[in-house]
Amino acid sequence: MKRYVLMRVLKAIFTIWAVYTLVFFLTRVTGDPVDWLTQAGASDSAKETLRRNLGLDLPLWEQYVKSFVGLFTGDTGTSYYYSREVSDLFAERIWPTVSLGSIVFVVTIVVGLPLGVLAAVKHNSLLDRLTMSLAVIGSTLPNFVLGILLIFIFALTLRVLPSGGTGTVKNYIMPIIALSVGPIASVARLTRSSLLDVIGNDYLDFVRSKGMREWKVVIKHGLRNALIPVITILGSQLSALIGGSVVVETVFAWPGIGTLIVTSAQQRDFPVVVFGVLVIAASVTFVNLLVDLSYGLLDPRIRKS
Amino acid sequence: MGKQNKMKKRWGIPPMILFLMVTFVIIVGAALLAPVLAPVDLGATDLTQRLAKPSFLDPTSPYLMGTDNLGRDVAVRLLYAIRSTVLISFTGMVIATALGTALGIISGLAGGVTDVIISFLTDVRLSVPTTFIGIILACILGARPATTVLVITITGWSSFCRLVRSQIFQLKKAAFIEASRSMGASGVRIVFEHILVNIASPLIVQATMELSGFILLESTLSFLGLGIEPPGTSLGVMVSNGRDYMLTHWWLAMIPSVVIVVLILQISLVGDWLRDKLDPKLKRIS
Repeated sequence: MKRYVLMRVLKAIFTIWAVYTLVFFLTRVTGDPVDWLTQAGASDSAKETLRRNLGLDLPLWEQYVKSFVGLFTGDTGTSYYYSREVSDLFAERIWPTVSLGSIVFVVTIVVGLPLGVLAAVKHNSLLDRLTMSLAVIGSTLPNFVLGILLIFIFALTLRVLPSGGTGTVKNYIMPIIALSVGPIASVARLTRSSLLDVIGNDYLDFVRSKGMREWKVVIKHGLRNALIPVITILGSQLSALIGGSVVVETVFAWPGIGTLIVTSAQQRDFPVVVFGVLVIAASVTFVNLLVDLSYGLLDPRIRKS
Repeated sequence: MGKQNKMKKRWGIPPMILFLMVTFVIIVGAALLAPVLAPVDLGATDLTQRLAKPSFLDPTSPYLMGTDNLGRDVAVRLLYAIRSTVLISFTGMVIATALGTALGIISGLAGGVTDVIISFLTDVRLSVPTTFIGIILACILGARPATTVLVITITGWSSFCRLVRSQIFQLKKAAFIEASRSMGASGVRIVFEHILVNIASPLIVQATMELSGFILLESTLSFLGLGIEPPGTSLGVMVSNGRDYMLTHWWLAMIPSVVIVVLILQISLVGDWLRDKLDPKLKRIS
């Protein structure tokens, strides 16, 4: 088990390094950012000065080593566009993204799991059909379409919620809905089908025959066994959530990391883009690592092997 | 839904699925024929006809779905938009399926170091969310349909690779493959004659399911302005343009949004049905 954990951690670190290296070189092969940053007709000496200031006069591998070492010494580089330390830009914008993301993650579990359990327990009832039909629609609704629909209903027609920006509790409502409907639908569908797989098993009949109440049978013995596939997709759901947050942040003018990376990519602000992708890859990989390791806690069979 | 019906007629298509398929073919067929049905210059504008109401709101209007902020017929643009969205996602799907299948076969048959490297590539790809891969590539290579196809390929191959690899691990042990090998069949022959035939059904199911995701991806990228450049259009571009006129002309954003949802719904429901039909092993309890 110790060896397994160690191997998984090493693999995760290696993955993050590979993503970093790949994105670093990909962003550099597409032309000189100096041409992009200076106005047409700028003198060669002005370009040369800018190039030296940005550290772009060094050979590519030296730039790579310098920025890679910088990650460990706290020097994350300077944004071409804002002329500020990259880590400062992220520090300013991390809270809106992280707060939104964590609320959505909690909402997904708190709403999705019970819906799935309810649908499974009341299998083939009207409630089950209704929940599952809604879940099918929910999982096919693109979040930008949902976002625009919400703005149209609540901000433009009913005028009860602000259409964008951040700051108050009201600002959070629509982005949370736009981001969580898809994951809720997936979690509810998977919980239901996974629980239905488990629910017919003999060992559940056994605890039932002992006189245990039905809801306790389902929660204590059924759900625990049904959770593994659900936890597996929570990792990929987080990845989808981070991807979706870019779109939702754009729709709701949310000043988070997603909008920062999109605008930086459009401005070819490479230090910001590379650092942003590193942060995202690291968080996705970390969550997937947690997911892998949590199997062992849930399923003793995996723990022993 | 319709389970009893399916049980009775094993190969019958339920009316609901038939309806979805027929409507899908009509929508996509009309869109693919757009240059024949409505040969217009996509860049041409008519500012005297700006933001005309659609005829379902104002019966006197000559435009079925109204006009946009540059006086262009929305119904015509919608056809061209569906055309580019479908063509881009479908091309991407074909390439992603081919690449993923090839890598999956190599990974599954070669094993060892090759397998480790390919699984590692899958891990690397999965650690960056799809949208970000799209954003980075669109910024490096420019917002072009070819870029979107590349994004779909890069993000889409891994699920096919994983599916094929796991299928091959199961097939490797099968007696008929062993028999074929013992009779002197070459590796290439085994791949084409036995393996591809046996993984065809799950692959078709997977490709159908993924197609709806690729349509979503194409729409999202073009919504963010990273998919296709004007005057070309796609469903995401139309939603994005319509956004600015939501308060007064809600249909400009709503019509393409509804089309995106309908296309994705049609494909994923048909995909669900296909999975139950072709691949009973994967069947979920419904």
